[in-house]
Amino acid sequence: MIAAARRAAPMPPLGLAVFVLAVEWARVLAAREWPVAGQLGGGLALLASVAFFSPAALGLGRDRLPARLLGAAALIAVLLLPAAVRWTGELPLGGGLAAVTVVVAAGEEVAFRGALFAAFERAWGGPAAVLGTTLAWTAAHALSHPPLFLVAVAAAGLLLGCWRLYARDLVAPLIAHVVADLAL
Amino acid sequence: MLAAAAAVYAAVALAVPPGFFDGFTQQVPYRFVKPPPCCVHNNVQPQAGHLTIKVGTNGQTDPASAFTNDESPQAILSVLPGAFDDPDRSPVSVDITPEASYPDLGGLQCATNVYLFKSSKPLKLEGLITLRYSDQLPAPSDIWYAPEGGGAWTKVGSTGSAAPFQIAVRTKQLGYFAGCYPPGASQPPAGPTLGGGQTLPIIAALAVVLVVLGGIPLALVRRREPGPKSPSRRRGKRR
Repeated sequence: MIAAARRAAPMPPLGLAVFVLAVEWARVLAAREWPVAGQLGGGLALLASVAFFSPAALGLGRDRLPARLLGAAALIAVLLLPAAVRWTGELPLGGGLAAVTVVVAAGEEVAFRGALFAAFERAWGGPAAVLGTTLAWTAAHALSHPPLFLVAVAAAGLLLGCWRLYARDLVAPLIAHVVADLAL
Repeated sequence: MLAAAAAVYAAVALAVPPGFFDGFTQQVPYRFVKPPPCCVHNNVQPQAGHLTIKVGTNGQTDPASAFTNDESPQAILSVLPGAFDDPDRSPVSVDITPEASYPDLGGLQCATNVYLFKSSKPLKLEGLITLRYSDQLPAPSDIWYAPEGGGAWTKVGSTGSAAPFQIAVRTKQLGYFAGCYPPGASQPPAGPTLGGGQTLPIIAALAVVLVVLGGIPLALVRRREPGPKSPSRRRGKRR
């Protein structure tokens, strides 16, 4: 089925953006009624966007693995720096929520910096892909974050998008996003 | 571009008062007495809570937790055995009520309602007050207290909490409690400072260094690769 989806006509970038945004908003709304099922279902639906692109197009792969992992460590450090400065000893998320967090964070990264980035880049080039995924990523968080925080969400999206463009890599943003969501 | 993005992120995330978060939001919407603009829609009024703590066979009040009757309790008082000064060994009545009128907050920004904790007898040992706070507002840095009879708000601190979106503190005084942060706070006052208060530029510079150092190996590997591999590079050649 995945192979068939990849062989099919390329997904229009705006269509994919609408799909990803709809899944994100549905996930947030569903989680208000069914917390675990809503989050998990949304995360898995986002992960389904890998069907439209090859791993290489998404920025995934085992090549350059040490460099990718080093990049992940650097991104984790940057994403957590502001929180580390403020840290007062409060513990991070518990086990149950943590497991769902991994699925959702990985799904978001694959959908936004993976599939959506690839679609935007194919249509309009790298800088437009960074800008477009940052805007979509920020809009996706509008239902779950206070307006003031959306600026920081946008800045995180810009950073991860720039990494994706500069390093042609999704492994580092994916790992960094998962770790940051577990900790923030 | 990447370095600039790292600096922007560090600066913005640090400037959001009093702490940027991502990841999970709480599952049950917070119930406000006076909902802020973000949360007027579908707001449900918060509930009060009441508990009568009995006296055990050892003559001490039992350990107990009094909490509000919300779907997810928004205010909790937990006490150890013998926590109340109870010379006549009679049951102790505890009430927790969300308040619409309370001493002037004086600019404090609160992410919780103001709750009045009352007991029929004074506390002898410290009790633990836990407040759930809204995920739609910046997280509180501390719990603040004002006496029931009126008076200024004072910071009583925070012991942290293992649960997300909760803040707790130990206290022997009961009265008004709320989870807030000071007006204009960009970070909790108790947070560490670097370089004599130059936190922001140092953090931004550190972010730049980290992301550049982390990106150099990937850049070097890409340069050594024989021919373009990525879709954009291939497309670039066709153009």
